[in-house]
Amino acid sequence: MLGSPPFSPLVSRRRVLQIVACGAAAVLTGARAHARTPPIVWEGTALGAPARLILVDESEKTASATVRACLDEVERLEREFSLYRPDSALSRLNANGALERPSLDFLHLLRLSVAFGERTGGAFDISVQPLWQVYADHFATHPDGGDGPPPAAIKEAVSRVGYQRLSIRSERIVLAPGMAVTLNGIAQGYITDRVAELLRARGYASVLVEMGEIRALGPAPAAPPWSVAVAVPPHVPADPLSLPLRDGAVASSAGYATAFDPAARFHHLFAPDTGASAQRFAAVTVVAPQATLADALSTALFVAQPETLPAMMQAFPSARAILTLPSGRRLRIPAA
Amino acid sequence: MPPVVAALLLMITMLPGFAAAAEGGARTLSAAELEVVFPGAHAVGPFEGQPAAAAVRGKDGRHAGYILSTFDTVGSTGYSGKPLDVLVGVDLAGVITGALLVRQTEPILVIGITEDDLRRYVAGFAGINVALRGTLAAGAAAPQAYPDVISGASISSAVIRDSIVRAATAVAGSRGLLGRASAAARIDVASFMPATWAELVADGSVTCRRFTQADGTALLLDLCAALATPARIGENLLGKLAHNRLGAALGPDDQAILIAAAGLVSVKGTAFVRSGRFERLQVVQGAETFGLTTAGYVNIEALRIAGAPEFREIGVFVIPAGAGFDAGAPWRIEVLAPGEGAGEPAILSIDYTLPARYVVSPPSSAAAAEPAVSEAAPLWQETWGGRWAAIVVLSLMLLVLTTALVFQEAVVRRPALYHRFRLAYLTVTLVWLGWWAGGQLSVVNVLTFIHSLMTGFQWDFFLLDPVIFILWGYVAAALLFLGRGVYCGWLCPFGALQELISEAARLLRLPQIVVPFTLHERLWPIKYVAFLGLFAVSLGSTRLAFLGAEIEPFKTVMSMTFLREWPFVVYALALLLAGLFIERFFCRYLCPLGAALAIPARMRMFEWLKRRPQCGRECGICFQRCPVQAIHPEGQINPNECVHCLNCQRVYADDTLCPPLAARRKRRERREALTTGAGPTLGSA
Repeated sequence: MLGSPPFSPLVSRRRVLQIVACGAAAVLTGARAHARTPPIVWEGTALGAPARLILVDESEKTASATVRACLDEVERLEREFSLYRPDSALSRLNANGALERPSLDFLHLLRLSVAFGERTGGAFDISVQPLWQVYADHFATHPDGGDGPPPAAIKEAVSRVGYQRLSIRSERIVLAPGMAVTLNGIAQGYITDRVAELLRARGYASVLVEMGEIRALGPAPAAPPWSVAVAVPPHVPADPLSLPLRDGAVASSAGYATAFDPAARFHHLFAPDTGASAQRFAAVTVVAPQATLADALSTALFVAQPETLPAMMQAFPSARAILTLPSGRRLRIPAA
Repeated sequence: MPPVVAALLLMITMLPGFAAAAEGGARTLSAAELEVVFPGAHAVGPFEGQPAAAAVRGKDGRHAGYILSTFDTVGSTGYSGKPLDVLVGVDLAGVITGALLVRQTEPILVIGITEDDLRRYVAGFAGINVALRGTLAAGAAAPQAYPDVISGASISSAVIRDSIVRAATAVAGSRGLLGRASAAARIDVASFMPATWAELVADGSVTCRRFTQADGTALLLDLCAALATPARIGENLLGKLAHNRLGAALGPDDQAILIAAAGLVSVKGTAFVRSGRFERLQVVQGAETFGLTTAGYVNIEALRIAGAPEFREIGVFVIPAGAGFDAGAPWRIEVLAPGEGAGEPAILSIDYTLPARYVVSPPSSAAAAEPAVSEAAPLWQETWGGRWAAIVVLSLMLLVLTTALVFQEAVVRRPALYHRFRLAYLTVTLVWLGWWAGGQLSVVNVLTFIHSLMTGFQWDFFLLDPVIFILWGYVAAALLFLGRGVYCGWLCPFGALQELISEAARLLRLPQIVVPFTLHERLWPIKYVAFLGLFAVSLGSTRLAFLGAEIEPFKTVMSMTFLREWPFVVYALALLLAGLFIERFFCRYLCPLGAALAIPARMRMFEWLKRRPQCGRECGICFQRCPVQAIHPEGQINPNECVHCLNCQRVYADDTLCPPLAARRKRRERREALTTGAGPTLGSA
């Protein structure tokens, strides 16, 4: 599971990951071939990272209003879920141990997160944030890192992890003492979905949204599907993944993108049970109907015990996973 | 004080010394630096404002944009935690013209990345539109939005990018370059025209959307939404009584939203009974989320409009004025379908844009779509344009009244004409001005005006309602010239109603009570006490003062035409009942507006109501005939109480009624009889 720095203005897993992903994602040949006009492409920043929107059959006149509506939606949800904004709902929850009158979105995403926790046997856990603090403190004082934080400190932090100890009610959300929550393993996917749904409600049938994760609407049935490329981590001897995508989402998790040390032995994707940075896979990519599901699932698969993965994937029949091993070999669930 | 006069005085005293204090300004740029940050800049002003930025003028001398410092604006620090400063130019369209790194202590420079790399990276931000936080282009060959990250310095790159974008956005936003309207649109809540459900749906006043289960079989939710505040929507949907009740409960600029739903999903849920909030519902507008609570919420059993479908749940929800909701801009309702039974939880949403017919000012969405900085006409000009007919009629009314007052001798010399004119004028005042045009002034206007003088007077605010503004302007002038009676006796709709009722009472021969003058005199101060009390309360709580202003039945009788909670109706009716026996009972003793007008009216300059030396000494007819007993037994007219009805002038000019005049007439007749020699008495002698 993923931990994150609370206030560092910028340095998050996503920002780095997206820089990596940006160079390789979303090719639009298919969409362009069947559109009456060239698609409109917006490239900019959202969630503090490079982001992109591709709108097919959109006029240049309305494009800037549409993009603004999408960015407003991102801004609105960042005020809920951002760990980097001291006044976000999430930061207030972590700072006060409780959040009064959470919004519909906050309540919904927290309940979704808990449900994902249940369905992944605890691998997806939004309460691993105390582990991040331990690692961050350690690497702040030991720039070379050594063998990571002392086991006792990790053990103590693990004792404060456990989404089951969250009390979620519509009047208030309460954390157990010492708890802290991060939504960086799911919020990007959620925001991506919300932006896509907003565009769908505005009548867009063929859209590619890249706001932390990737979600596609369309393209038209006759057109070739979107083609999404996913970068491979450095030093992994494998080709980039190229995934055809039609009405679906892609999310990836990779330890190197949020590493504490140059060798990426320690990064932000923590196993909630041991508190260690998971090392089995170089990257995990999930294709699913929604980006929220793809995001949470890629995080959970990355940190879960390998023998549990096939069973876990059976709980999500609409999703498929591509696991890249450090050797460059790839596993697919279900097997293609 | 009359608003126009006082406002003029205030304007004159306010004009100098209005310049904002400049802050910072110590920063200077060399010509070479300026050429990088803002190519084509000709002159740069001081850094000022919040957040601080320097205005840039182009070669043609016109305002071209701003230059800002990321450190001053967002306190940017580098990866090292030490200050990092980039000067950024932004043009009036929100596009970055250039950026220059002026201060940094990044550790990466140690490991082989040169300062030139950083400078190149920073310079690459030119061309980014901060309103869109990126670039927009047709086709796959979109230009690279942000410069490539410096390899090996990704974190420094990210820090710098974030500083530049955030600082430029802050400055552009604060200077209105991002096209987001700062003022909420004004909504026409008053106009009413009957409409059917189908008509409201067709013109977008009500929007509906149907959600079915993923397999398309069962109906998940039939959701309809509308802004209920405008009368044409709310009154048609809810009925006049319920809509008026809603309007009375709403504060100014509160907005009411109607949500109606049918289907498997309950939009209200049940938790709100305990928690006071509707956890499955929210209103979203731009980047703002508005939760819905039970404060102001009204459960509606059934819609009162013809042709509405059956709904399982109907409710009116209130978004308070301070929440930042702009009823003129698009919004959406979101419903969390909890996914009980079959299916995943899902968020269902319905978009709503108030049709342009209800928007008095240009909607902010139009401004957002067109980010160019244009000189929009002030809001008040548009409201005036929209009510030109009322302005014309009111001007005619005032012209007629002025003419009648200027030539009052000619009018009062013709008693029948005077009487008919007065009744006709009062009827127009009551029906057209009061009920139709909403021209009932209130002590609330006076309180708001005094407060605006204390907190900062703004013309725009007072100009918004042309009828009220013109009326106040006229009253202010009339107050200075003749006293408060011109308003009270001719232009106050409630006063007109009372006088017409009294006229009817006399026709029905109801007994009229004459209050003994000593008691009458002792009752006068009540209205002054009421006004001073309201003023005192308003210093503490405007809300309480507005509540206290309900001592005026104007709202009940004029704007709400008695469709109101019963205590208000009973109060208003009681006053009118008292008026049957004591003419203008309310005006005489209770009206705080009359009191508020009487105080400055002591400055009045002219006295057009004529008296004779004999008045009060030899004759008390006017004293008895004055409908509001504003004439002392001693004969003088008390201008504080006078309603300028001209009744005493009619007597004054009537040589059958006014004893001195009658005596003079008799003398003259006698003399004429003598000179002609045809006098019957003499002839017989």
